[in-house]
Amino acid sequence: MELTIDDRTIEANRGESVLQAALRHGIEIPHFCYHPGLSIAGSCRICLVKVEGVSKLMPACNLSVAPNMKVSTVVPEVGRAREQVMQFLMLNHPVDCGICDKAGECRLQDYEFAYGPPRSRSTDAKHHKRKLHDLSPRIQLDNERCILCSRCVRFTREISKTNMLGIVERGAHAFVDRIDRESDDDPYSDNVIGLCPTGALLSRDFLYQSRVWFLEPVRSVCTGCSRGCSIDLWRRKKEWRIRSLGEERNSMLYRVTARENPEINGPWLCNKGFDQHKLMSRERTLTPMLGDAPASVEQAIARARDLIAQARHPAALVSALASNEELDAFKATLGTRFRVYAREDSVAQPGEVVEDDFLIKADKNPNSFGVRERFGWRTLTAADAQAHDLFLVWGDWGDYDGLGRAPVIHLASFARQRDRHADVHIPLSTTFERSGTFCNFEGKRNRFEKVFDKSPLVQHAADVFAQLEAELAAPQELREAS
Amino acid sequence: MSDPAVEGVHAENVFMSFAVTSDSHTLDAYRARGGYEALGKALRTLQPEDVEREVTASGLRGRGGANFPVGSKWSFVNKQSPVVHLCCNADEGEPGTFKDRWILEHVPHQLVEGILLAAFALHARHAFVYIRGEFDLPLRRLRGALQEARDAGLVGEGILGSAFACDIVVHRGGGAYVCGEESSLINSLEGKKGYPRNKPPFPAVKGFYGAPTVVNNVETLANVPWIVARGGAAYAALGTKANPGHRLFGISGHVNRPGLYERPTGYPMKKLIFEDAGGILGGKPLKAVIPGGSSTPVLTAGEIEILTLDAPSLQQAGSMMGSGGLIVIAEGTCMVRLLQVLTRFYRHESCGQCTPCREGTAWMDDILARVVDGRGEAADVANLRAIPEGILGNTLCALGDAAAMPVLSFVKKFGNEFEYFAANRRSLNGDRLEA
Amino acid sequence: MKDGPGDADAGRLREQFDRLRSGYPSQMNASLVLPLLQIVQEQKGHVTPADAHLVADYAGVPRAQAIEALSWYTMLHRQPVGRHVVKVCRNIACALRGSDRLLAHVEKKLGVAPGGTTGDGRITFLAVECLASCGTAPVMQVDETYHEQLDEAMVDRVLGDLR
Repeated sequence: MELTIDDRTIEANRGESVLQAALRHGIEIPHFCYHPGLSIAGSCRICLVKVEGVSKLMPACNLSVAPNMKVSTVVPEVGRAREQVMQFLMLNHPVDCGICDKAGECRLQDYEFAYGPPRSRSTDAKHHKRKLHDLSPRIQLDNERCILCSRCVRFTREISKTNMLGIVERGAHAFVDRIDRESDDDPYSDNVIGLCPTGALLSRDFLYQSRVWFLEPVRSVCTGCSRGCSIDLWRRKKEWRIRSLGEERNSMLYRVTARENPEINGPWLCNKGFDQHKLMSRERTLTPMLGDAPASVEQAIARARDLIAQARHPAALVSALASNEELDAFKATLGTRFRVYAREDSVAQPGEVVEDDFLIKADKNPNSFGVRERFGWRTLTAADAQAHDLFLVWGDWGDYDGLGRAPVIHLASFARQRDRHADVHIPLSTTFERSGTFCNFEGKRNRFEKVFDKSPLVQHAADVFAQLEAELAAPQELREAS
Repeated sequence: MSDPAVEGVHAENVFMSFAVTSDSHTLDAYRARGGYEALGKALRTLQPEDVEREVTASGLRGRGGANFPVGSKWSFVNKQSPVVHLCCNADEGEPGTFKDRWILEHVPHQLVEGILLAAFALHARHAFVYIRGEFDLPLRRLRGALQEARDAGLVGEGILGSAFACDIVVHRGGGAYVCGEESSLINSLEGKKGYPRNKPPFPAVKGFYGAPTVVNNVETLANVPWIVARGGAAYAALGTKANPGHRLFGISGHVNRPGLYERPTGYPMKKLIFEDAGGILGGKPLKAVIPGGSSTPVLTAGEIEILTLDAPSLQQAGSMMGSGGLIVIAEGTCMVRLLQVLTRFYRHESCGQCTPCREGTAWMDDILARVVDGRGEAADVANLRAIPEGILGNTLCALGDAAAMPVLSFVKKFGNEFEYFAANRRSLNGDRLEA
Repeated sequence: MKDGPGDADAGRLREQFDRLRSGYPSQMNASLVLPLLQIVQEQKGHVTPADAHLVADYAGVPRAQAIEALSWYTMLHRQPVGRHVVKVCRNIACALRGSDRLLAHVEKKLGVAPGGTTGDGRITFLAVECLASCGTAPVMQVDETYHEQLDEAMVDRVLGDLR
């Protein structure tokens, strides 16, 4: 059907609200409490619009589209209502912008500038509520900043279903509180941070780390499980990397936010996803090694090439953290030389949710599907281990004693103490240092983009495979000459 | 406990058709007056739609304050739905209103019969009486009446030997004025806070536990037996054409004989105040009248000269029929202090869900509390004019409007008192509230 | 008369809970939240968060729901109250007939402001909103009972009878 909003005629679907139809067509109708993933609250009242033939203003979020409906948002009546609602919201809202992380991405701030009155009518002191309260180890709650839109409450009631949050007390005394204190921590709690249209709910990890306008998001994929949710990793914008800040702050990941992906995670993410940036602080390996002796990359590759050439039954243990592009590179170069076994780099840790009926999957690796698609899934048994005379281990691995006495070529990103040294060790880049794709448990392909350049000290796995293949293919004389 | 003054017992009255005694509320007494004959007639000779038709023909409108045609409300319900619920709103909380209490105390069986007739018309298997938690005697009388009715086969399975079954559940409220709003009542009845719901969907389509639900006021339902017994046309002949019937008008404040008076709609307001209620205390001049419960705009003495107690007349005067509870104010009363009594009330009762009511009711009361405390400021009166404009029509339920209208009307009609108090930091009328 | 503050008698409570539930249609257990909280209050005078958890579990609703309800309905006391609760109406009809005067009188007599409890634990004094008794204003409710058309003498008599 068709309806008009101001001077635009748009098509709408039966059952949609005017707000939904408007947003779908890129028409801005301000809204706080409405969220496409949550039930309708209709309580903030900022979305009030004028409908021809109706005397009262109507909330667009709860107004079903009807054929030939004429909606107006530019009439003075609507402008006045928006001003009045903003006045009411700002009445007791603390002017914390100067010290509040939300500044720059705060819907309340944006709407106050766009729709609020030129000045407040109030001459009374603002009412106070509990401020800067540790709602949980991850989330800070400031009840003064809260506009009681109930998005966070509806989230824990309808989506994560932990009922962690509620609104207690009546009238203007009402406040959001964590009221089910005996419940387990909500493994999706951090979603309320992004949902909150003000600085009432903030990430404690990100607290005071940076002003958001110095940062930019980079599209990525969470590697926490085989759901492979879309995420945004936030780094400092190029023009805001200032020498005086120091290398660490210029090249760190500040935070993770959920990236909307209708195919995979919708607008949501689990807390493990919100912690993806902490992977940056895992200790890296930065030096190629031959046994216990540091070496150059060239030396390491040469030695690896020799080991591969000599081996009669080489095995490769391929990581489910590898990207599709790296797996393709391996298959195209060295893949035929090796008997390929598949491996899960990560397993569920004690205390971690294994699987639920929402986002979290038991397989804690992002690309098991990609491995299985190319190589099948053959797990290495003790008997298998005896049959091979060389292991190319790609990715994180525990001790090597499970691999018998055969030599080990180990390509890995992260440092780890082991029972013995690999014969050859080559440090690799991480997911943050290259682009690529993973396939999630349903085979859906999801892209991640490079966030930082890799250090010259580490290698991209694909380059290593290409070099090894080139050296293995080169005639004997040329090799001896170099 | 003393009874409110009751004037004019007439046999043809809908409610006050008998002299109240210590047992006039019992089943035997009610039956002796013809009680439950309408129910018997309906179950023996009528179809549910016949009952609805009579109620529609009667022109009966809701007596809780919204004044909506009852037959229309019932007609919105899809009677083929597997489940339909009836809720009786006994959460009487509108200041100035005390009529439902009288019905519960003195004619509880009339209410029970009305509920059963409505349930019959609506195909409701269960009816719920949501009674305000503070009520003591009304609750005991209602429970007593229901026990008598159950014992007499008037409630439960096979009522009066027919196929009609209906159980009535009494559910106490917890001290919240907003629970008198029908969707808030439903949420409360579902075990939650009494937050009103967005409409649409309306309760008649999706209400209690998602089923079609009708919420009717006590007085509304208590009219139904009379209508079924004598016919809708007979009811429509009472009172005014536009809003027929009798109402239990309450009158309180500065009158000599406050209490309840059953009168036909269209009754002259001045007559009720100066004759029936015996005029103003101490013979003082009248200053103002709030005509239908505290949420209706206040009228000055001059404005009520020719007013009659019916919706069109009051609407034309810029106010409303509301719950029919008149509050009478004598000359010499400080309207600023009186308004603050109301803003304090609405602030206390705002559920907190939607922005304009939650913030606006607290703000208006903050300002008025400051003014009556002698700390008024220059901007206060202008703000008291502007803030209600930001609330009216913008809220999720009518409580916002109910809170805004008194402030708007008091400041409009008695602006000089407010200006004076704010500027001079004291009352023009010596802080007086009593006559 | 209420029991003194202390833990609710679990067995007796359960009996009352079951009796209440039997009066409601099946599949409407959620509706029991407020009435169950009221039963707890009748027994021990006030309701704690632990009681609300009990109620929620019995009614089959999230505990958060009962906690929210407990905080929202003003008839529910979350702190212990006196042996008697005296509620004086302060709304418009009563205000026009002298409730201010009576509130001041009660405050003077009891020595506590509205909201407070006398030192001997005898009376909790509250100022409340409209009790639907406007025709017989001014009015107060003492425990369950309404006392109407009050004057100071009547107030003194009623309060004096309270042990």
